[in-house]
Amino acid sequence: MIAATPEVLPRCRVEIDAERCKGCDLCVVVCPHRNLRLTTGFNRSGYHPVEFHFHGSRGDCTACGLCYWVCPDFAITEVARRRP
Amino acid sequence: MSAAEIRYETTLGALPTLTGKPTHYCAGCEHGTLTRLIAAALDDLGVRERTVMVSSVGCSVLAHEYINVDAVQAPHGRAPAVLTGLKRMLPDRLVFSVQGDGDAVSIGLLELLYAANRGEPITIFLVNNAIYGMTGGQMAPTTPAGMVTTTTPHGRDIAQTGRPIDAARLVASLEGPAYVKRVFLPVRPTASPDLYNARGALEGERAVRNAFEVQQRGGFAFVEFVSTCNINWKMSILESKRYAAEVLAPLYPEGLYRDRFGVEAR
Amino acid sequence: MIDSREFLKGNEALAYGALRTGLNAYFGYPITPSSEIPETLAAEYGRSAYPEFKAFLQAASEIEAINLAIGAAAAGAKVMTATSGPGFSLKQEGISYAAAMELPILIVDVNRAGPGLGNLGPEQTDYFQATRGGGHGGYRTIVLAPGSVPEMALFPSLGFELGFRYRTPVVILADAFLGQLKEDLVFPPVAAPAFDTAWATTGARGDERHVLSSIHLEFVDQSRHSEHLREKYAEIERAEPRSSEVATDDAEVVIVAYGICARLARKAVRELRGRSVRAGLLRPVTLWPFPSQRLRELVGRGVRNLLVFELNSGQMVDDVRLAAGGRARVESFGRLGGLLPTATEVASAVEAMLR
Repeated sequence: MIAATPEVLPRCRVEIDAERCKGCDLCVVVCPHRNLRLTTGFNRSGYHPVEFHFHGSRGDCTACGLCYWVCPDFAITEVARRRP
Repeated sequence: MSAAEIRYETTLGALPTLTGKPTHYCAGCEHGTLTRLIAAALDDLGVRERTVMVSSVGCSVLAHEYINVDAVQAPHGRAPAVLTGLKRMLPDRLVFSVQGDGDAVSIGLLELLYAANRGEPITIFLVNNAIYGMTGGQMAPTTPAGMVTTTTPHGRDIAQTGRPIDAARLVASLEGPAYVKRVFLPVRPTASPDLYNARGALEGERAVRNAFEVQQRGGFAFVEFVSTCNINWKMSILESKRYAAEVLAPLYPEGLYRDRFGVEAR
Repeated sequence: MIDSREFLKGNEALAYGALRTGLNAYFGYPITPSSEIPETLAAEYGRSAYPEFKAFLQAASEIEAINLAIGAAAAGAKVMTATSGPGFSLKQEGISYAAAMELPILIVDVNRAGPGLGNLGPEQTDYFQATRGGGHGGYRTIVLAPGSVPEMALFPSLGFELGFRYRTPVVILADAFLGQLKEDLVFPPVAAPAFDTAWATTGARGDERHVLSSIHLEFVDQSRHSEHLREKYAEIERAEPRSSEVATDDAEVVIVAYGICARLARKAVRELRGRSVRAGLLRPVTLWPFPSQRLRELVGRGVRNLLVFELNSGQMVDDVRLAAGGRARVESFGRLGGLLPTATEVASAVEAMLR
């Protein structure tokens, strides 16, 4: 756990249930900022689950929710914004 | 400042109307997406305890495992009739089905058209992925000309099998329905090769909500979701989204084919 | 509107009988010789005399009709559909599903000649289809065989009572003659009993929801469910066989017949008794569960000859043979194509058997 000041903590977060993920890649390709990536590891079903990075390769997550809506398996269980 | 003092506010979260059971659907299948859209709409409307769904036969056969409402299984193709029987006895409940293209447009075409013709206040969601998924990839009434399936191994021959059927237009050709909509549900390729557009899911969410509202106002609502089946189309998940955009979208154009109550205008 | 005493066709009596016992919904497709049933119900639909009768719909097909019935039954309603042989065939998949989901539905088959399109005359050739669970998979339905117009009026009430008690489809197997025959009858008082429908799908209650389904992908689950059905059917076989008898106390030969054949057989028994032949009649009222126990009792008491008289080339005779267990002679007498023998011909067949 990294102790940090609020300014550098993520403005939003995406909760992922890795065991539900089927590695379909849909959330990865719809994310405008590249905040989601398939891991190289496996979940119990044998899929590469996705993981969330607040700092994506094209920008920070804005909690747009597209990943949530597109996921066919409710593996994206929560999208949240930090309260100001 | 400790982490405990940081508060996050959920903007999109749990859907109580989902049972939470992991689905049997293949990775990337729009059945899963649609399940989520339905659950979200039922939660929004607060009608979980006043809803009865009807499962059909095909990949939708276990749809009731994931949506936490009372459910009845219909024989193949018969969901519109089972919905009608339920609704006639329970007029103040919300009833809906999820059906595949084989279930609704092949074996169940009579039941679909007659429920539509009567304008029964029910809601039917058609997942059209242009193939028979559950049974392993045979030709469907909506399979495009030339497509290879297990029963059209040399490509669908129109001279032998007739043309693919446009379900939304067929239903809209009758006066009975109050709401007929077709949504392209898969993610769409964009100019960037690694960025896809999720507009379909958002349109789908609105269409599902409208389709329930139309029933509440006493009308027959039908939404066709153009979808994919990468396993039986023998493509990768993203290839199947591209194929759907290139071949199915022009064949089955999305649009509003009937909106008697003007639910989309608001 | 009808009085409690009327002179009606069998089909009409059945329709009124259903209304008077609280029928909620009728879905059906016209087919001779059963069409008076939907026609009578259509005329009465919407009238204040039958406030329970909430839905009448002429379906687009026989198959749509049985599936409309499945939907209504799932909601806990008293629902009926009526047809003849060809439509009964079409409904079998739906009946299989209804049996699997344990839904009470009344299915009336006014048996006509067959197979195929046949004709409009009476036959009893749907016996196998009705009593063996005519659709796919392992199930049974209770089968009631009315033998008169008054019974046509009574059996919807009995059918719903049994259907809801055991959560099973119930077939009323009539025939073209009985459907069209006009007789005097007195209806019992109007009474619409309420049945236990706690299992119905009318909307979740908190965390509790009902799923009426016949899919059991795990083999162990399917086995358990089929075992449950088997136990239910065993209970029905134990508790619900029904039959009636004429002159069996001292009979040396008993005619076994149901429906219109029982009417002819009763007359044949009178003729035979007039000639000092000790003949009797056993009339099954439930074809499933078959009154095997009663038959065994008669055989045990000394009835050595059983003449099974039916309008087919031998269907119920199989059940009679099974019940008799080799301890009585069992023979078949029938007529096909919609034809009926006279009572005298039936009596002659009995005498021929005894020679």
